[in-house]
Amino acid sequence: MNVMDPAIHNRAGSRAEIAERSLRCCRLCPRNCGVDRTAGVKGYCQLDASVRCFREVLHWGEEKALNPSHQIYFAGCNLRCEFCTVAEWNEQPEAAKLMDVEQLAAVIARRKKEGARTVNLLGGEPAVSVHGILKLLARLDASTVVVWNSNMYYNTIVDELTAGLIDICLADFKCGNADCASRLLGSADYVEVAKSNILRAVNHSDVIIRHLVMPGHTDCCLEPILNWVAEKLPNVKLSLRGNYVPPVEATMAPSRYLQTDELKRAEHLAAEKGLTLVQ
Amino acid sequence: MKNKPYKRKCGDFEIRVLSDGRIVMLAPDDELMEIARELDPNSELLPPKTKDDRYART
Repeated sequence: MNVMDPAIHNRAGSRAEIAERSLRCCRLCPRNCGVDRTAGVKGYCQLDASVRCFREVLHWGEEKALNPSHQIYFAGCNLRCEFCTVAEWNEQPEAAKLMDVEQLAAVIARRKKEGARTVNLLGGEPAVSVHGILKLLARLDASTVVVWNSNMYYNTIVDELTAGLIDICLADFKCGNADCASRLLGSADYVEVAKSNILRAVNHSDVIIRHLVMPGHTDCCLEPILNWVAEKLPNVKLSLRGNYVPPVEATMAPSRYLQTDELKRAEHLAAEKGLTLVQ
Repeated sequence: MKNKPYKRKCGDFEIRVLSDGRIVMLAPDDELMEIARELDPNSELLPPKTKDDRYART
């Protein structure tokens, strides 16, 4: 039997309405498009007010504490990472199916029966679909462990809307400096925004900071991120991932795969700074 | 004019075979996971195959 927590149901439901209203002049993320998504206008994320999902899968390749994780992919993103492995869905989110809240809630319940330990909301970027995600959260069983798997590039309103409704914030901290963020993600202010949001997230969620280690980005990205984590959140869980996939024709992004010894060096660096690595 | 590599479209899937023999699957769905399990039944990144096939699609 699925038991919904009435408090969560009400809170998520009322926040979904607030989120939906905010789409009339969308400033959910620092792109601050200011467009009326409810009128069908698309922002930088290529989304109007519709919420679209392109994949759901039970996955065993996330951090061990999350596995098996039911991944739900939302189309549309506010970054343009050259190395994105689902870029096609972010460039053309309208190709994805419209989210049906009741249907998706039923799929989540089924996946839970199949063994899913967590529901993993990712994309794209979930923040740009937060209005739909809140409607979904209002339908979930109270015991569902919700993972917010985000690039952390959003405005404070998203944190306010989701606080208390997500259990684990899987913060995908991508770059360690403005230059790399500008070239690789298309967003010069990414680093500062992500830092602010991670610091806010620890106030209401269990946070795992995940960093995809990129070949050749030790000094510019890895080290600054490790230093910041060591200074600001020395006890936070840190996950260093070695599964970087180079784009077929890289222009700005690294053009090769990470080597095993590069990941080992990254882990060694983190350990030297006293950080808590999770697998 | 330079010949550009094929750009993935929505609904495509991509499997890469690297020169060292590794196989990379991009953002796998259930079908790709099934293929991966056939290729490497002992991978800890994949769900165990059970008699009742818990992961069968309905």
